[in-house]
Amino acid sequence: MTTPVPAGDVPSLFSSRRRRFLTGRHSRLVSSLSTVVVLGAVALLVFYAPGGVAFRHFFFDPHQMWVALIGTHQGLASVGKGIVTNIWMFSLCEVLVLLFGLLLAWVRISRAPVLAPLRVLATIYTDVFRGIPILLVFIIVGFGLAELNIGWISHQTPAFYGCVAITLTYTAYVAEVYRAGLHSVPHGQILAARSLGLSQSATMRQVILPQAVRTVIPPLLNDFISMQKDTALVSILGIVEAVQSAQIDAAQNFNDSGLVVAALLFLLMTVPLTRLTDRLIAKDRTRRLAGVS
Amino acid sequence: MRTVRLSLAGSILASVVVLATGTGASASATTVAACRSSLPSLEKHAGTLSVATDNPAYTPWFVNNTPSNQKGYESAVVYALAKELGVTAANVKWSTEPFDASFTPGYKSFDFDINEISYTAARAQAVNFSVSYFDVNQSIIALKNNPIVTKHSAADLKGYLYGDQLGSTGLSFIQHQLQPTKAPRVYPTLNEALTALQSGQIDALVVDTPTGQYMASAQLTDAKGKLIATQVGQFPSVGEHYGLLLQKGSAITSCVNAGLDALRANGTLAALQKKWLGIYNAVPMLKP
Repeated sequence: MTTPVPAGDVPSLFSSRRRRFLTGRHSRLVSSLSTVVVLGAVALLVFYAPGGVAFRHFFFDPHQMWVALIGTHQGLASVGKGIVTNIWMFSLCEVLVLLFGLLLAWVRISRAPVLAPLRVLATIYTDVFRGIPILLVFIIVGFGLAELNIGWISHQTPAFYGCVAITLTYTAYVAEVYRAGLHSVPHGQILAARSLGLSQSATMRQVILPQAVRTVIPPLLNDFISMQKDTALVSILGIVEAVQSAQIDAAQNFNDSGLVVAALLFLLMTVPLTRLTDRLIAKDRTRRLAGVS
Repeated sequence: MRTVRLSLAGSILASVVVLATGTGASASATTVAACRSSLPSLEKHAGTLSVATDNPAYTPWFVNNTPSNQKGYESAVVYALAKELGVTAANVKWSTEPFDASFTPGYKSFDFDINEISYTAARAQAVNFSVSYFDVNQSIIALKNNPIVTKHSAADLKGYLYGDQLGSTGLSFIQHQLQPTKAPRVYPTLNEALTALQSGQIDALVVDTPTGQYMASAQLTDAKGKLIATQVGQFPSVGEHYGLLLQKGSAITSCVNAGLDALRANGTLAALQKKWLGIYNAVPMLKP
């Protein structure tokens, strides 16, 4: 066996002088140069466009951004306060989705005849909730359950309904991710585990699941980033979260700087998660390319 | 029915001041007679008065979604104004301008937009507004079985859970005049706020009297088509008014103002309001 080749340093079969220049020791210079050129072009556009001054005032006014972050009117339009709602919502929903998604995937890949009706239901569920735009799920759940007037269920806060809607939708997505992960474990592993005398459920718990989960972590994080952003849509139920606060602020001051603040806060939450996903994917790739598993 | 949006209490005062000074200045600076000759050279499309509104255009501001039929308050005002400025009805040309797009900065292809747009100081930074052609009261809409229908003293009003559309004048009124103890719910459009009202998630909605009248008398029904909401009452205007919207710096603004001032002075506006908007006077007055 040859020594493992680190990912990203694979020797190219099509080396040329030009390519060596672009990828060799000059690469850093070239990449910083191109970054400067691109960012410079954007900056020039923003600063020297005919509407540049208006644009900057409209989106990047420091005072307006500060006011939007802190809020002025009885705390109603504070983006900083609003983002707390987003954070607790997606934190709660992520836990719920992880649990329910796994359960759903488990049902879908099970072979037990007794679970046949559940399998059909699980398939229908996935089809339906992956197929409906999440905004509609918010409306149907948020206003529908309240409209039904069936005691406890109909007297919850919009945030509760928002969480239900997010969990319903993302469970469908995440179940499919899990299912792909579970299917990716070679069949030989199951045969081997069974021949060692492990029961069906022990095989699942101790052999299949650990391998499957490791494979699906990057796509799972991908879905969670998407979910974090979708918490902004709960505003349709009347919840004043970050984006809603920014919009209230924009409507009151005729200035969209608050929206930029909300965007920055979302970036602050999602970028670390994105980087983590990237690193996990890179690590996994290196591991596989090296033939170590 | 059309939502109106406004800003903070400060701008209410500011708008009153601007309105007062603006009215005085325009009346002395520009006369209707001068406008009749200068208007064609100022129009976006010479020889025609280009007027915009949203589609659909709602009753009682327009009738049958046909702005050019001279029926409905806003349509009637446009044709009265055109006549005042010496433009024949045939030379009034209508186009569609979505409400949300109307008060963004930049070039406008119309001479003015008439679409129940409230004057606000913030909007006035991006576009021009004419003087008022309609002063707006805010009113409370609630389901008939809600306690607010019978208990609505100034103190009682603070205890309810309100909901409203984002950026609406109603929301601003809730925040600055009613100042309820529970933070109001805020919805992206009035439809969601209505749905929330209908499903009992909020006690009441604050909208301008014309919009509320339409909601209570036509829009909010149960499965059998029975009306389920009522207009509890209306509050005296705090300076909110509808103005014609023009491109920022539009040279036609002073002429439009002069025309509207003339229509107000000779009682045309009052007569048109009585003809098309008379139902609104019947709503009981409340104190915030």
